[in-house]
Amino acid sequence: MSTSSGAGRALIAVYGLFALAATARAAVQVSTKFPEAPLAYLLSALAGVVYLVATFTLARDTPLARKTALVAITVELVGVLTVGTLSVVDPQAFPRATVWSAYGIGYGFVPLILPVLGLLWLRRSRPAVEAG
Amino acid sequence: MIAPLAYGIVALTAVAALWGLLTAALDRAPGRAQLLFAAGVEVVVLVQSVIGFAGLASGFAPAERATTIGYLIGILVLIPAAWFWANTERTRFSGLVLAVAAFGVLAMTLRLLVLWVPA
Repeated sequence: MSTSSGAGRALIAVYGLFALAATARAAVQVSTKFPEAPLAYLLSALAGVVYLVATFTLARDTPLARKTALVAITVELVGVLTVGTLSVVDPQAFPRATVWSAYGIGYGFVPLILPVLGLLWLRRSRPAVEAG
Repeated sequence: MIAPLAYGIVALTAVAALWGLLTAALDRAPGRAQLLFAAGVEVVVLVQSVIGFAGLASGFAPAERATTIGYLIGILVLIPAAWFWANTERTRFSGLVLAVAAFGVLAMTLRLLVLWVPA
């Protein structure tokens, strides 16, 4: 089954929405107030790139795109867990400025659920010949 | 930005989102009326963005100008992108795609209302 077919289309739509939201947000932050919180804004930009890559690789659905999607979505999961935890433990370092702050509380925790769904979808849509 | 228009968009996108969820639940691809409705919502969103830019051009200075401009532009692309994506493979999931976009526009419109305050 293709990653860009069936339920995958709805998943890609959500990824696309987050790609737009995170990239636009990071662009504004980096271009207008970067010195205020460089780490948070760089992570914001990273989140944007990860969502963009995941959106396009899931939609493209070649073997290489599938591998790239796996890497991007894994980075996304690690990112939301790391930034989420750090932002709760050390709020000073993350002034509520990235989509991943507090596990994505500002976005209804979708940033936390999305990578899990993404990984499950990559697994479920795996071609039958690709065993293991 | 005109508040009543924004609330109208919130209501219209809520309907579009629910409609999408409904056809997905019924295992149907979006029908003609549903797609036309989405196009109509886009027209209203476009009117709002034009009014927003006219406001900025005529001197209104929101506290977060760059973010506001980002939202006024970003809000325009969701429904056309979803329209294309929902129609290139027409299944029950097309309705979910439209619902995601409609909900995105709804959330962004609410955010714009908050952003639309003088500096």
